[in-house]
Amino acid sequence: MSTTLQMRDVESTLETLLDLSKKYAHGAEASAHVHGWHSANTRYARNEITSSGDTESMQIRLELAFGKRRAESSTNQTDAASLRALVERTAAMAHLAPEDPELMAVLGPQTYAPAPVLFDDATNAFGAAGRLTAIEGSVAAAEGRSLDGAGFYEHWSSLHMRGTSAGLRAKRSETYAELTATARTKDGTGSGWGGAASHKADEIVGSAIGRTAAEKGATSKGPRRLEPGKYTVILEPAAVSELLQSLFWSLDARKADEGRSYFTKAGGGTRVGETLFPKSITLTSDPADPLAPGAVFDDDGVPLAPTAWIDQGTLKNLRYSRYWAAKQGKAATGFHDTLRLHGGDAKSPADLLTGVKRGLLITRFWYTRWLDPRAMLITGLTRDGVFLVENGAIVGPVNNFRFNESPANMLKNIDAMTAATVRTPGEGGHWHVPTIRTNDFNLASISDAV
Amino acid sequence: MAFSRRHFLLTSAAAGLASACAGSREQMQSARGPIADRTLAEVLERALVAAKRAGASYADARLVRRRNENVATREDHVVTVASGESYGIGVRVVAKGAWGFSAASKVDGAVAEAVAQRAVEIALTNAKLQKRPVELAPVPTYRASWATPTKVDPFTVPLADRAAMLLSIWPEAKAVAGVKFCSAWCEALGEWKLFASSEGSLIEQSIVRLGAGYQVTASDAATGDFVTRESELPPRQTGWEYIASAPLRADARRIAEDAVAKLRAPSVVPGKRNLVLTPSNLWLTIHESVGHPTELDRALGYEANFAGTSFATPDKLGKLKYAAPHVTLYADKTVPGGLATCGYDDDGVKTQKWDLVKDGLFVGYQTTRDQAGWIGEKASRGTSYAEDYASIPFQRMPNVSLAPGAKAGVGLAEVIAATDDGILVSGNGSWSIDHQRYNFQFGGQTFHEIKGGKVTGPLRDVAYQSNSVEFWNSCDMLGDEKSWELHGSLHDGKGEPSQTNAVSHGCPPARFSQVNILNTRGGSKS
Repeated sequence: MSTTLQMRDVESTLETLLDLSKKYAHGAEASAHVHGWHSANTRYARNEITSSGDTESMQIRLELAFGKRRAESSTNQTDAASLRALVERTAAMAHLAPEDPELMAVLGPQTYAPAPVLFDDATNAFGAAGRLTAIEGSVAAAEGRSLDGAGFYEHWSSLHMRGTSAGLRAKRSETYAELTATARTKDGTGSGWGGAASHKADEIVGSAIGRTAAEKGATSKGPRRLEPGKYTVILEPAAVSELLQSLFWSLDARKADEGRSYFTKAGGGTRVGETLFPKSITLTSDPADPLAPGAVFDDDGVPLAPTAWIDQGTLKNLRYSRYWAAKQGKAATGFHDTLRLHGGDAKSPADLLTGVKRGLLITRFWYTRWLDPRAMLITGLTRDGVFLVENGAIVGPVNNFRFNESPANMLKNIDAMTAATVRTPGEGGHWHVPTIRTNDFNLASISDAV
Repeated sequence: MAFSRRHFLLTSAAAGLASACAGSREQMQSARGPIADRTLAEVLERALVAAKRAGASYADARLVRRRNENVATREDHVVTVASGESYGIGVRVVAKGAWGFSAASKVDGAVAEAVAQRAVEIALTNAKLQKRPVELAPVPTYRASWATPTKVDPFTVPLADRAAMLLSIWPEAKAVAGVKFCSAWCEALGEWKLFASSEGSLIEQSIVRLGAGYQVTASDAATGDFVTRESELPPRQTGWEYIASAPLRADARRIAEDAVAKLRAPSVVPGKRNLVLTPSNLWLTIHESVGHPTELDRALGYEANFAGTSFATPDKLGKLKYAAPHVTLYADKTVPGGLATCGYDDDGVKTQKWDLVKDGLFVGYQTTRDQAGWIGEKASRGTSYAEDYASIPFQRMPNVSLAPGAKAGVGLAEVIAATDDGILVSGNGSWSIDHQRYNFQFGGQTFHEIKGGKVTGPLRDVAYQSNSVEFWNSCDMLGDEKSWELHGSLHDGKGEPSQTNAVSHGCPPARFSQVNILNTRGGSKS
């Protein structure tokens, strides 16, 4: 079922809300955010569908400020009475709220770069039958190797609009489709994974994703036991994305300035300008990046300009909120949703095996958690396929591990990457990363999980 | 805080339904929505009739209204004053042996019928890939209500009062030299729902959950080093009276002193050590190493693509020595104050208490109506839950707790006194566990060395790492009933799309023998 939501409904709701704010919250600065969406999903496990559903809704969020007193409130009810109640409730809350010295005035009209087209009509019209077809393809791949397939297909259509009493108006629309699949051997000793994300559902090919998961699942059967230690590892894109999440989060200027970050300079200040990584490392956010397109404004309405966080190994930028930028005399960067780790020279993932005397190929990670933000140290586990590599070739599957490692070290120790980057599921499909090879990766203990 | 509400229900026939549900009038009144029909029950009935007409063999419909109010502060100022609410209808059906679900945020009879028809269409589409038809364990029909016992509705407490409470923490914390930052928060969650099934149940429930806490950061300007220390007040299903009487401010100086002491503490030497865990730390270990592994859907592969599976497979039921013989772990959706406590689950099953691990032996699972038959059980354990109206109900963790030891007069002091060499861990730090729940690694908030039955000084950079079954079999001492505390989490994720569940875990202090201790800065020594 395609959504019945239209951008004009989102726009009119926003304008009504701002009008009501002017009328029932006299003197307040108002900032409104309306997000309408239709989402649908199908889950399967043990090669059959286990649940499936859809929903359509609108979230209406209002922030009101009287001087430095601010509050925000939200509802999913769109009738005029509910919108008025939202305004009155938010105003009452703001009047009661203590002053927030960090509160910034709402933004006025902004100039945004042309937005990449991320709304696909065919995906908007996608439904249960389309999901079923993709899942049938994935399940067939699992059954073809006598495996148990489990997976999840989700797609949504999303319409955002943001506006303020100072005249800001910003809107964007986006569709998204994602299928992830796991295939496990009947004896429970092997498990593989595959997944893809795109704003176009027709780029999500269930049979191909299922084949990737099934191939990994079948070949990971009966892993041999390998001791923990420091290994050269080849990390597939899903694993790279997982570790980059912690690093991306750490690129916060305020945390660095306050001494609470890996990017804090000894003695105070930040490490911007320092060459922290090899020259091959470039990490950027660019809404217009054809490989990893995304939003041209953030949740606050701040324009998102192309930003190099790390340029050829040198830390170039940290993320600045409007408040912290004003306080530090910098420009606000906004909160990007895109990220691209630029690739290297390797023509294919298989090329990364060349020259590896003894190492591991890792499919993905799971349950990563912080251990020490100052050292950017995190823990987590490998999952769905770890393979021993000896003398440039895959020898066979090995057990899973818990790692205790720093994503910064992961980048520091990279010695090869694929030229091609891929869009990884999660993060709204806005992240593009290569397969990488990195050294001295600390696998701290064995996990018996499969 | 109290807000003006439209009183659309007061004059309608729904008031009759509300009065039939003791104490529910106010909740019904606040279940707002543009409603064309005379009663909410009628809306649900129209959904059920439409589902049946479209070919459903079973249907249930839920109206759910959720509210949340959050206040957060940073040092001496407020950073968040926020509230949110959602309201809508979700309809779930079985047609041709397959599940289907649809939801809408507009609530009226026509929408309810359309949603029901959509759910049936989805089920019929999916039936093509359904190999084992859904079979629901029988359940009595109920016309009933249930509500969290509260004295003070937190939503009536002015946000300014909540902010003032949080702001009172910073002056205490900053009085301790070395403290640099403090962030504090409090959160109130309200959940009202009206459930109706095609089998005749009509159940209204109203749940209030509360949490509050803060984090103090201490730093060393010379080295650039810093540590954090979080407070340990458990979230509860309760009224505001619980937070109002909690020692948040009274504890602030001690919490701040803990942070500074941790900053200056020696880094732990890794190796095998005896562990004494306070309830504020152990509850999360129970959650991860017992709560999730005994979810039947996980054990059978239904969560394989996301959270993973479980080592506790059905072939081990009644055989696996999960824990030491004096250890009993049980599920309980009835414990007062428990975050997962309610009268009826989202399948309409009356809630209960049962054993998962009895005297060390693995004996039970968490189940729902469609799962009970998978392991030959005749009835559901009543653990179905959906986060909101738009979420599909599925198996979610009940409160899972560790029974206290039988020997009276044993509290934390006695456990420490009986320990010649060990490490005491309190509060929750970093936690991580593998996707079959074998290998886990947990941190804490404070760590202290125990020597000769006495706490000798603080430590830092501690994590304990073990295997779930080895760990529980290494338990050699339990506190008594008096030392038992109920902790928990307001936000536990599971499923695709991910849904949040609130869950509590009770336990006494306990000791575990020769557990692998890691230094989180320097790796491990096994």
